[in-house]
Amino acid sequence: MTEAKPYQNRIEILQGTLDLLILQTLARTTQHGHGISQAIRGRSRDVLSVETGSLYPALHRLQKKGWLDAEWKISENNQRAKYYSLTKAGRKQLVAEQSKWQLLVQAVSGVLDPA
Amino acid sequence: MNRLEFIFRRFFKRRDLDRELHDELASHIAMEVESRLQAGESAETARVGARKEFGNIGLVIEVTRSQWGFAWVEQVLQDTRYAVRSFARIPLFSAIVIVTLALGIGSSTTIFSLLDGILLRALPFPESNRLVMLWELPPDTHKPNVVNLKNFVAWKQRNHSFKSMAAYVTWPLNLLSDQGSEQVPGLAVTSDFFSTLGTAPLLGRTFRPGEYWQDEPNEVVLSFNVWQRLFGGRPNVIGKTISVHNSYHEIIGVMPRGFALPNSKAELYVPQAINLNDGRNYSVVARLRPGISPEAAKAEMATLASETARENVELDSGWSATVIPLLEQAVGAIRPIIVMLFVVVGLVLLLACANVANLLLMKASGRAREISVRMALGASRHRILRQLLIENLLLAICGGILGVALAALTVHLLKTSLPASLNIPRLNEVTLSIPVLVYSAAASILSAVFFGLAPALQSLRRNLTQDLRSSTRSVTGGRRIRSAFVVVELALALVLVSGAGLMVRSFLQLTNVNTGFHAENVLTAHMLLLPQDDQRHAQIVREMLDRVRNLPGVTAAGSIGILPMEGTNSGTYYYRADRPDPLPSERPGGDVSIITPGYFEAMRISIIRGRAFDDEDRAGHPLVAILNQSAARMLFGNEDAVGKRVKVQWTKNDEVTVVGVVADIRHGAVNSPPDPCIFMPNEQQPFPFASLVVRTTGDPALLEEAIRKQVKIVDPNQGIAKIELMRQMVSDSIARPRLEAQVLSVFGLLALGLASLGLYGLIAFSVAQRSREIGIRVALGASKETILRMILGDGLKLAVVGVFVGLVGFIGLTHFLRSLLFQVKPADPSTLISVTITLLLVSLLASLIPAQRATKSDPAAVLRDE
Repeated sequence: MTEAKPYQNRIEILQGTLDLLILQTLARTTQHGHGISQAIRGRSRDVLSVETGSLYPALHRLQKKGWLDAEWKISENNQRAKYYSLTKAGRKQLVAEQSKWQLLVQAVSGVLDPA
Repeated sequence: MNRLEFIFRRFFKRRDLDRELHDELASHIAMEVESRLQAGESAETARVGARKEFGNIGLVIEVTRSQWGFAWVEQVLQDTRYAVRSFARIPLFSAIVIVTLALGIGSSTTIFSLLDGILLRALPFPESNRLVMLWELPPDTHKPNVVNLKNFVAWKQRNHSFKSMAAYVTWPLNLLSDQGSEQVPGLAVTSDFFSTLGTAPLLGRTFRPGEYWQDEPNEVVLSFNVWQRLFGGRPNVIGKTISVHNSYHEIIGVMPRGFALPNSKAELYVPQAINLNDGRNYSVVARLRPGISPEAAKAEMATLASETARENVELDSGWSATVIPLLEQAVGAIRPIIVMLFVVVGLVLLLACANVANLLLMKASGRAREISVRMALGASRHRILRQLLIENLLLAICGGILGVALAALTVHLLKTSLPASLNIPRLNEVTLSIPVLVYSAAASILSAVFFGLAPALQSLRRNLTQDLRSSTRSVTGGRRIRSAFVVVELALALVLVSGAGLMVRSFLQLTNVNTGFHAENVLTAHMLLLPQDDQRHAQIVREMLDRVRNLPGVTAAGSIGILPMEGTNSGTYYYRADRPDPLPSERPGGDVSIITPGYFEAMRISIIRGRAFDDEDRAGHPLVAILNQSAARMLFGNEDAVGKRVKVQWTKNDEVTVVGVVADIRHGAVNSPPDPCIFMPNEQQPFPFASLVVRTTGDPALLEEAIRKQVKIVDPNQGIAKIELMRQMVSDSIARPRLEAQVLSVFGLLALGLASLGLYGLIAFSVAQRSREIGIRVALGASKETILRMILGDGLKLAVVGVFVGLVGFIGLTHFLRSLLFQVKPADPSTLISVTITLLLVSLLASLIPAQRATKSDPAAVLRDE
């Protein structure tokens, strides 16, 4: 049970937001799976953690939908890694997911803090 | 890698995709290790930490993979792979199942292709369902009879049912070409023949409309075959002339490949004038007007025939007329055989399915634990059922594919190697067509459902806890349903073997029939004589015979107009001249044969009374005749016919004197009883057909060239239609029953084999399952005989029930067979008894092998095993 400690201040990613986080992470750069999970964790200051059991199915699902492309490249540490990048459709989807998220945030804030 | 490529790889490059996923996850872990090392962890801690953080790799792979494809396709593929693997592990079992199914599906596909190509498919003429044949019906027999042209003209002028009609008669036509003279099958047709059938010529034209009342135009239409054979398929043949029957005919057209009336294949078509004085010699084909049914046309024909019977008493009194659809005419005779074979192969397929079901049930018992384990681990019933269904379909598809291949081979063999003497109509139209393949696919899938249902249901009815607790690897149960299957198999086998037995007996009866003549060492040469005046005509036959008699080895030679075993004969009326003429509708009659001296001797037909014809019985001398026993009895009862006078319609009612009585022979076919027959000499009643009948001491086949040479010396233009051994003609006339007996025997043996395999499997399986019980019995002192008797008793009990059910079923089916049997009752006791005994013996044998194995079981070993 002691292993649970490091995760104490992390929260589970909301159902459906993982796609948005992945697409956003890949908006400006191509990245491999490990890098994406690091980036999400880093940018959320260790609050958001992505389980590999969610990350990889999501990456493969997004690739199947045609929002991501993948390519094997050599990483900065000289290792072979599969790099994902956004496709055109992926960019459109990112915009759609962003506005959906904004709507959700506004709606939830509205509920929590009635003006 | 773009999306399409991804989709493509998802289906076809799974292994690549799997490896790639593996690499991807491995690289993730490697990077995690790297970053932990950089953060200062030791190598060991970094590795363990990275793995721990990553979580369950197998699960990640499983979940990620599930994103790749449609889940059910994945699962079906997975189930299929699993099924293939599990069948590959038991190759003998799988091979037995697949071959059993292939035999069932293959034989049923073959017979269905016959059913489809011969009975069901429309004849190859435009709107062929409107084509019918018209026949006259004689007063006594009411068997369709060829038509008189006077009546044909009356029908043609008065009917309202037919768009057109044409009469035709088959002739061997004498064809003179660079390759010498030969006689080919030809059709002399009235002008509307081609327009009635509706087929356009490939080249040129056909005969012009409007009947020929006087002389026919010297024109000829070629079949595709003759065009290819004699003219190499050159298109410039139109307008050329060829010599047909000693006169030049202009080629006006060529018919397309495959054009032929189903029962009258012809190489040449020549025009036929309407000769109102000709006898009943013609077949009539007609095309119904749109909207007129064959029944309505039949009613009109009966009315027309009653009109002509009133108008033309001498010719038509008592005669009627009828309509038979052309397809029915072509295939009516063979329909019962094909339908029977279809029933037979249906039973064989059922038997094969029952056998496979039984095998699968045994396999299912063996894997009950596997299924229980899978269900305990959470596999849904639905998933397990699908797994079983996929296994069954896989077996059925393999069996089906092999079966269709088998059928393709069989159909090819049937079409290439069946003797022409079988006269199977439309055999050339039989193919593995789309409907046939649909039938095989449906048969395969239905088989899968049929043989898979019982095992599948049984698998799902398992009691999990009990199965898992059970100490043995296999689980008993379902014995009753397996026994039921074996009983059904034995019953089906009994039905099929009995059918085969009856057909074989019937065929043996046919071979034992005394035809009344002696066919060994006799060669026949059949020809239509070229047009001559009557005296020259008789002289030519006489010269040919004189020359042939002088050939070495020839002991006797004569000629007859229409040979025995040709299936037809001329007929006429004859009646006593010493009594008042009977009414036209009540005149007795029968066959008429025109012969020369030497015929009875060559055929070894015994003279009962009086004498045979001799050289004095020629033109200008008193007209004479010989009767066979049936005709003598018909006309004169117990009186001596020799010396009596008879009026014969054939000779325009001349009176002839009976000079002899000969023994009856079977003229039409081996299986048709002798008809009354009057013989008259060719010298007095010249006949256009002559068939030389030559008896030799040596091998008659060696005479063929010598006979051709002698005929050519007498008349260089005279071709021969065919030269055949008399023995072969007799054998050909029963070729169909022989084939039926052979085919049914094959299916009967197949059924017997399948059923005994089924019984053997059941008993062997139950012995294996009861090894513990048997061991205890032996340990408690049961003797080997007791054990043997117990196991054999089990097998025999099933066999007796199966035989009983089979006998009841067979007696219910006998009316199918009645029309196919010759001098054998469908419920022939000796056949049924011997089949029953055979089946019981085979069953005993099938149980004996496992029973003996049971007696050898060592109780100590069996009990130790537990």
